[in-house]
This record gives sequence, structure tokens and C-alpha cells, in this order.
Amino acid sequence: MFDLDFRSRKPIYEQLVDKLKDLIINDVLQVDEKLPSVRVLAQQLTINPNTIQKAYRELEVQGYIYSVKGKGSFVNALAKSEKSEELLKIKEQLEKLVAEALFLGMSSSELELLIKEIDESKKRGDQGDHE
Amino acid sequence: MITSNNISKSYEKENVLNKVNLQVNKGSIYGLLGSNGAGKTTLLKIMSGIIKQDNGEMTISGREVFENPQVKASTFFLSDSLYFFSQYSVKQMADFFKDIYPGWDKERFLKLEKLFQLDKKKKISQFSKGMQRQVAFWLALSTMPEYLILDEPFDGLDAVVRKKIKNLLVQDVADREMTIIISSHNLREVEDICDYVGIIHQGRLLLEKDIDDLKADIHKVQIAFREEPEDTVWNGLEVLYKESRGSVMLAIVRGIDGDIIQHLEQYHPVILDLLPLTLEEIFVYEMGDAGYAIENILV
Repeated sequence: MFDLDFRSRKPIYEQLVDKLKDLIINDVLQVDEKLPSVRVLAQQLTINPNTIQKAYRELEVQGYIYSVKGKGSFVNALAKSEKSEELLKIKEQLEKLVAEALFLGMSSSELELLIKEIDESKKRGDQGDHE
Repeated sequence: MITSNNISKSYEKENVLNKVNLQVNKGSIYGLLGSNGAGKTTLLKIMSGIIKQDNGEMTISGREVFENPQVKASTFFLSDSLYFFSQYSVKQMADFFKDIYPGWDKERFLKLEKLFQLDKKKKISQFSKGMQRQVAFWLALSTMPEYLILDEPFDGLDAVVRKKIKNLLVQDVADREMTIIISSHNLREVEDICDYVGIIHQGRLLLEKDIDDLKADIHKVQIAFREEPEDTVWNGLEVLYKESRGSVMLAIVRGIDGDIIQHLEQYHPVILDLLPLTLEEIFVYEMGDAGYAIENILV
């Protein structure tokens, strides 16, 4: 499903949480889909089952998944507001990038144009999905 | 749960372990790190009841370990220097273990045979060093131990076999909550599968911590200001180390990342970067404080 970077400075547990969030946000894992069991994932990735359990608990606290006793963990239907944490992060990153772009001489109208283009191409993509 | 309570041990006049307190939770994989001669093997031997401590208490699941057959039936100690009876084949050695360990699982033994692909009729002494180590794991895992105590277990194994064995260990932890304690002088070797680490140095336990916490609550800060900042920049932060590289300052700070950023942004830095440390760096800084020669521990 995914790989981890054992040489990374980031704790394995955080990597797991981030990777799974990614999969959920991007709808690779769909609502009510079952996540791999701790056992299976531990074997696939050769990592400590306790670490996986911890990551699942964290995802549950953050509302990305829910668990059913004896059955496993499932993807939660995310309300928009629950993505707000993610949004905040992205906003921060954007601020940095925009500041850099402005510093390097990009004008704000150019930026606006860029945003419009991206927005339009996304809309076209969405329409394509429905046809 | 394995509990070591104030364990001390001396050989002749030499003090090898000094009041070691340590706790390994059930279903955990605990990495015991330390340089050569730090006291790892002695501690593990006390833990498995091979030698007796001078002072203190060593219990597994609340029961005293020394000369307690019940505890030993559910514990397997894999020594760093392997020992097999001379002239014995794997099969004969397996029969011996079958008589000693009540949990011996024949099916497991046969399953692992396929996995390791070693000839069980062959004399163990005719195997190479790395293969003998695999035989040891093969036998150890077939006894279905509740507690597996491993002393420098990955010595002499190639990368593929190491991965194979780690995979087996992880499965047993997931399936039946086996508890593992692994000693090693090489941090990298155990970093991926341990959830807890303890560092032992000159017979004392220096540090014992959840491996994720260890990584999460210590950061490398890179920061630069347009003008010389006020002296109060670092006030209120737990700074372990600080240096200037030109106009960029580098510091190792303990604390929650959000708090650190919030504090530092008050001073309007031009650059502010927070990086997590590698485990090796963490040990260097955490223990550098205590004035230990850390380089020895990290090979």
C-alpha cells in the first residue's frame, strides 16, 4: 500500500499517520472502507504492531477513522470542518510560497491568473468525472 | 511485564550493574542499547535467570525469575554466543527443546523449516555462522515463548535474513503479544522495530523512553535574524545546545514544536526552520549533557 522511510528523522508513527491521512483525504481509501489490520500491516511493513496501533488511535482521535470492536478500523465520513487542521497547514505553506514568489518578482496579478487557471482546470476535471 | 527493580551485580570487585530500574511492557519490543561492556549481557542473563543478582528484584509477570521453572518455561534467552550440543543435528536439538519447553509447537517448527530452508538432518556445527544463528531463531520461535530475550541477535546476519527474522518477530508480537527485549550496540539495527529504548552505560540505565516521544519532543532549530536579536530569544526554552554558523544560529531545543515556533516568531526571524533529529543525534545531545562519551555507543 505504501512504504516508510526508516532512515527518516520523522518518527515511524508520524509517518504512518500522515500517509494514511493522505490516502483518506485523496479518496484512495473511501468512506467506510476497512483499513488493513494491525497484524497485516505490521507484517507488510516489518514494523512494530504497537506503533501501528498508536497511529490508528491517533487517527481515530482526529476523526479520520472509527473502529468497530472485533472488526477493525474504518474510514470515517469527513465533515468539511474536520479538514480544517489540514487547511490551516496548507495555508501556512502557501503564505511562505507566495511571499517567496512576490520576493522573486512575481506580481500579484500573475498570481491571481495562476489561481484562476488552476481553478478552471480543476472544474473541467470534475465535469469530466461526471460525463 | 518484565520489571527490573534496583538490580545490582558485581563480578569480584568490579561493579557491573548499578541499581538498574527498567520496565518492559507486555507486547512491547524493547531495545536495550549500550557500548561494549556496558552491562547489557549481564542484565539479560539476570533477566533470564542464568545468573543471580546481588541486590534488587527481577520479576517477569510479577514472579521472581531466579530458579523459577514456571517463568523459565515461558521465556527464551538467545545468547550472543550460540551454544548447541556438539554432533547434534537440528532435529536432535529440536527434540531436546521439545522436552524442556512445554509450549513447543511442532507445526511451527515445520513451517519455519520451509521459511529458513535449512536441512534439519544436518549437524548444526556444519552450518556457517549466520546459518547457525538462523537455526537458533528457528528453535527459539518454535518454543512459542511469551518473553523472548535476545542478546545482540542480528550479528553476522545478512540484510535479507535480518529482515526475514524481524518480520517473524513482529508477527509474533502482533499475533500473541509476545514481549521482546533486544540488546544491541548498534542503534540503527533496532530503530525500526523497537517501540521503547533504554540506554545503559557503565552499569547504569541512563534513559528509558518511548521511541516516538524521543523523536518527537526534541528539535533542531535553524534561525536567522536581520539584526542581532535581543538576548531574551532563548529564554523560556529548554536549549540543549547552541551554535552560530555565520549569521544562522543552530540550536537543539526540547519541547513541543508549535510552542517553540510561537515563541521564536515573536522575534521576527528571517529564517526559521524546525527539523526533527535523528535518533543518533538525540542520544548525542541528551547524553552529552550527562558528560558521557556517547561516540562509543553509536557505532
